[in-house]
Amino acid sequence: MSDLKKTLPTEYMVLNMGPSHPVTHGTVKFLVTLDGETIVDFVVDIGYLHRGFEKMCENSTWEQVFPYTDRLNYVPPMINNVGYALAVEKLLGIDVPERNKYIRVIASELSRISDHLTNVAASGLELGAFTAFLYFVEARELVWDMLESLCGARLTSNYVRIGGLKNDLPEDFKDQTTAVFKRCRELWSDVDKLLTKNRIFIDRVRDVGIMPPDEAIAWGFTGPCLRASGVPYDVRKANPYLVYDRMDFEIPIGEKGDNFDRYLVRMEEIIQSMRIVEQALKEIPSGPINVDMPEYRWQSKDDIYNKIESLIFHFKTVTEGIKPPPGEVYFAVEGTNGELGFYLVSDGRGKPYKCRVRPPCFPLTAAMPRMIKGSLIADVVPTFDMINMIGGECDR
Amino acid sequence: MSYELNYTIGSIPLEKLKPKKVRKNIELTLWERLYIPEIVRGMIITTRHFVQNMAGFIFPPNGKKRRVFTVYYPEEKLTIPIAYRGRPVLVMREDGTERCVACGLCESICPAFAISIVGGERRRENEMERYPVTYTLDMSRCVYCGFCEEVCPKEAIAMSDEYEELAERDRNRMIYPKEKLLVSEKRLKNRIDYVRKIYSKNNYNAK
Ligand code: SF4
Ligand code: SF4
Repeated sequence: MSDLKKTLPTEYMVLNMGPSHPVTHGTVKFLVTLDGETIVDFVVDIGYLHRGFEKMCENSTWEQVFPYTDRLNYVPPMINNVGYALAVEKLLGIDVPERNKYIRVIASELSRISDHLTNVAASGLELGAFTAFLYFVEARELVWDMLESLCGARLTSNYVRIGGLKNDLPEDFKDQTTAVFKRCRELWSDVDKLLTKNRIFIDRVRDVGIMPPDEAIAWGFTGPCLRASGVPYDVRKANPYLVYDRMDFEIPIGEKGDNFDRYLVRMEEIIQSMRIVEQALKEIPSGPINVDMPEYRWQSKDDIYNKIESLIFHFKTVTEGIKPPPGEVYFAVEGTNGELGFYLVSDGRGKPYKCRVRPPCFPLTAAMPRMIKGSLIADVVPTFDMINMIGGECDR
Repeated sequence: MSYELNYTIGSIPLEKLKPKKVRKNIELTLWERLYIPEIVRGMIITTRHFVQNMAGFIFPPNGKKRRVFTVYYPEEKLTIPIAYRGRPVLVMREDGTERCVACGLCESICPAFAISIVGGERRRENEMERYPVTYTLDMSRCVYCGFCEEVCPKEAIAMSDEYEELAERDRNRMIYPKEKLLVSEKRLKNRIDYVRKIYSKNNYNAK
């Protein structure tokens, strides 16, 4: 082969993959320089889904940001809602009732399940395993039905509020969860049997896109991709928020940091998230879900309809927005791809002075060239699937 | 090549982090590499699903056409939960007038700037009352967030359960005037009760 190369000089070919390519889940372009089928150079071109999230936030009141956060990582929108709400609550220095915390945990974990299901299903699909896709989409559908009965929408949830929640759990939520999780576990074990020991799948994902742990930390990896490299870092454990410190769950970690490990970590996290939801539903106390602070959380409808002073104050808070004290905070939650952080600056007015998001998939996307150079062009698909770059979150 | 697990996060002991190794079968056994048994195993799983679905068609449960996961839209429809947020509509009283008093709260909270209102006054039952002379909702902008319903102090706007026939070929036709938005009180009763329930006083922390 090497002799042949000497006598037959080859030229590099530059190939545009994307922006509208089936594997580029959001919209992203790769500029791939190829020597035969080997990748010599790889440039990721992001920004196709830039909607100016941060600028929009500066022009809307603190509450109005919630629908915008739904559209960051749009498969698990609840986690974005929770992250933003917790950041604002930290800025305000308020604490939410116990029941609220449990419901937020349940909502986040359900979202996490739906995201991992989507991710594994989509990567299976792109590697040719259409059956696995159908099974997991059925499971995801069931989880989304639960979220729909909870918040009223499947993706654009807009459920969490500053110092509260939109509504309480529906009455039959516990039974619904039991039934749904039973079916999800069946489908999970089917997909596990179809994929985990499938030689076609393993040949495509194993030893592809390797990231050693020290480099993963240096690149700023978090979430399943970092855990796949063997670093047991999870914001839920390392820096527990809400009631995660009361939950009993394990952090799945891989050994090599290749795509196969990322797949296994995601599969295991689905099971762990189900465990968390079940525990939370068992332990959830009854009680209120909103703080009674009219200056931060819109008041109850009972007050607004019946008391004139409440009504006047309601008008004031809605039109002007809540007014956090001047200052800045950073708060991170464990998103599905890693640490999802919100950095907020308040200048004491009704609108955020700055609302910066730390998107977990940005460092992952940035490390694509490091992971992919030297391997074959077909390896782009599983690697890009497994880092689960979501355009809405990366480009904002 | 595999790495030693020696990463700890700050001062948190590993027992607390509870890491769980998930890496399995680094090397496939000969049995698995043979490929045929695995294909058979996969076929068993898919065939089981096929047979179950088939049985769902042949022996439907009582009162249903079939027992499969797929819903045959538009002949069949899902039952949507009461929490569902469909197209926002204005509540119409029995005499055909709207409850809205054109206070403008929904207009100012709407994150998509979809609502525009021109308020006016009129006489109703010997009383002067504010009402929206025009109430325009741009359905091409609305993101179905439900904030308008949450802030309205008059229960005058509600998220209905309608999700069909909202798409148009022309954006101008998606700008809904007041007449197209009005829906009678009776049809929205469940939703209004639900809204009253979810934002009721007992969901708030007592001081
Ligand atoms: S649902 Fe949201 S976007 Fe639509 S009109 Fe109401 S406030 Fe505006
Ligand atoms: S908030 Fe209610 S009463 Fe006020 S303008 Fe909107 S619909 Fe009318």
